[in-house]
Amino acid sequence: MRQLGTLLTTDLIQRLRDKSVIIFAVIVPLALMGAMNLVMGDAMDMDLETATVAVSAPEDDQLATALVQTLPEIGLDVEVTETTADDVQARAESGDAKLGLVIPDGFSAALMAGEQAEITAIRGDGAGIETSVVLSVVQGFLDRAGASAVAAAAGAGLGLPPAELGEVAEQVTTGEAAISLTTGAASDEQLDPKGALVAGQAGLFLMFTVSFGVLGLLAEREFGTLARLRSMPMNPNLVVISKVLSSFVLGVVATSILLAVGGTLFGVDFGSPLPIAVLIICAVIATTSLTFIVIKLAKTSEQASIIQTILAMVLGIAGGAFFPMSGGGLLGSILDLNPVAAMIRGLGITSGGGGLADIVTPVLIMLGFAVVAMLVARLVPDRGAMA
Amino acid sequence: MTQTATEPTRTADGQHVLVVEGLVRRFGDLTAVDGVSFTIAPGETYGLLGPNGAGKTTTISMICGLLEPDDGSVTVLGQQMGPRKVAPKRHLGLVPQDLAIYPDLSARENLNFFGKLQGLTGTELKTRVGEVLELTGLSDRAKGPTKEFSGGMKRRLNIGIGLLHKPTLLILDEPTVGVDPQSRNAILESVENLSGEGMAVLYTTHYMEEAERLCDRIGIIDSGTLQAEGTRDELIRLIGGVDNIALTGSGDTVAVAEALRALPSVAQADAERGSLRLTVHDAPTAVAQIVTAATSSGMQLSDVQISRPNLESVFLHLTGKALRD
Ligand SMILES: Nc1ncnc2c1ncn2[C@@H]1O[C@H](COP(=O)(O)OP(=O)(O)OP(=O)(O)O)[C@@H](O)[C@H]1O
Ligand SMILES: [Mg+2]
Repeated sequence: MRQLGTLLTTDLIQRLRDKSVIIFAVIVPLALMGAMNLVMGDAMDMDLETATVAVSAPEDDQLATALVQTLPEIGLDVEVTETTADDVQARAESGDAKLGLVIPDGFSAALMAGEQAEITAIRGDGAGIETSVVLSVVQGFLDRAGASAVAAAAGAGLGLPPAELGEVAEQVTTGEAAISLTTGAASDEQLDPKGALVAGQAGLFLMFTVSFGVLGLLAEREFGTLARLRSMPMNPNLVVISKVLSSFVLGVVATSILLAVGGTLFGVDFGSPLPIAVLIICAVIATTSLTFIVIKLAKTSEQASIIQTILAMVLGIAGGAFFPMSGGGLLGSILDLNPVAAMIRGLGITSGGGGLADIVTPVLIMLGFAVVAMLVARLVPDRGAMA
Repeated sequence: MTQTATEPTRTADGQHVLVVEGLVRRFGDLTAVDGVSFTIAPGETYGLLGPNGAGKTTTISMICGLLEPDDGSVTVLGQQMGPRKVAPKRHLGLVPQDLAIYPDLSARENLNFFGKLQGLTGTELKTRVGEVLELTGLSDRAKGPTKEFSGGMKRRLNIGIGLLHKPTLLILDEPTVGVDPQSRNAILESVENLSGEGMAVLYTTHYMEEAERLCDRIGIIDSGTLQAEGTRDELIRLIGGVDNIALTGSGDTVAVAEALRALPSVAQADAERGSLRLTVHDAPTAVAQIVTAATSSGMQLSDVQISRPNLESVFLHLTGKALRD
């Protein structure tokens, strides 16, 4: 135990003296956050604008009602006003609404019969990206409704009573995976774009920060001190363990600094400290566990850097460090099992006021990731630093 | 295979500091160490003398538990050594052939770090670090990072780290390579002093002068096998223990050679143009008589050279090649 403490403190002293940790783990990501905020700031602000939509829908029309109800749930700020067809026209023209939608009478019936149902869309003054997004959602709804109308028609052939047919059609059109935009935004829906930027960069650079432990082990080899350490009266595993612990400490400290400083600079509130601390620790455990694999594979610091960069880019990009990633089905599930994505999602939950009980899923994902990485590390044949 | 010139030395209680038995280590198709056995008694300085690639470092790596042998065993003070063994490593102080120090730490920090890992604490640690800094002449450079050290200073610190905990067996792997003659002499002197204080030493080198000067016993290693072992004199006796004298001058060298062959100390005499080459027993004693006999046979001497066989000639004799290429 005393020996482990000696190994760890001496390693940390050297990491700090060799300034690269401070530069790559803290200064570079903060600078990048600033730069990306400048470059992408406008685009993000546009996303933030509320899409005001005026809709006129026929009364007692199941599918029309479903469509109107869908609009506020697409992941953007959407303000829906239901009114008459004439008023829709007027609001759109005056700019009170950025988008006007007129759903014709007999909308459900037309779709059920497999006929063309036409929704009139009027783009108002100042319509922007958010208007296009709402429009594409409406289009998607129509496409799916058309398909479901066919399904319902086929069902009629099988002799199902018409009342149930209506339900089937509605279920298909408004079911879980109805509109991909909502799932796409799931991993950062609670974080505003600046929060996502800070959390994403913190997650990405965490991947680099923890790699300093592996680099430290390879440095021992280059200094020749690894041989000397192995001649010391102690368990030889302590050397590897001390490097992993060193990665862990650096990861926790650097991520805490990034979230605190980044949050302050960009005015992001990630929520209460305890769940944030739990998220940081779990994210560091998950990413540090990867170093066990890198230790087994890399013979030189160049190799270690390359492997670590690949891992960081793959997990960072897939995790949404640069822009939110989305995907349906299997791909989406795989993307969600990524520690960077889990950390960003967790921070989204805490920033929305979530507590410990609310972050169970991201925490489990990160810990599960760590367990899998350690198991993989055991299976990988040792041809790296300690071979 | 090994020509043993002496019985292995033993302490009163029969325990060796180090017993190496039948060590074998292969790297792929290459057998780097092939059945090496030797022992070191308390306080003894044992030299492993051999050229580049002979297997010295590989042998030491197995002795220190850095490498697992493919066959054979290493016992330190009666305890079996291996990569995962802790207890026997306490008795060893390793000075690796390649520098093993941290460039971003100062000399004192390097010593403190390794001292703590060796189990030193408190005032003992402080005292020993101070003593070693003094011994290696680094006291006034204790604070700066070692990356600013000269090559010789780094080497001295490298050796100092191995001495910190006063090991029972100090293992030095070619500690003088790349060191200027002055530092080299200082290193050899401190090894002599430590040995004088009762520390057992295993010293590898490919400089036969170092082996001759320092070592009580020497093992000659080549291609992974111990070719011979013994004291310097014992090894030299292995190859017949004869000296050479070369006489240069004018005169009838053939006739002089004839006359010298009659002397009892002269084993062989060959005449060349203007010189004579003699193989003699105990050249220092015989040389006066030989010079007198040559002069009285009519030779005008301009030069007399005595060469005694050294470990270099032993090595040449045993392996058919020179120690250094
Ligand atoms: N890790 C290794 N992998 C493959 N071959 C090795 C390894 N270590 C040593 N060898 C080979 O084993 C042989 C013995 O090497 P070793 O380092 O023990 O020699 P040495 O006597 O210490 O030489 P030197 O005087 O140059 O230090 C050499 O041929 C070397 O190439
Ligand atoms: Mg060597």
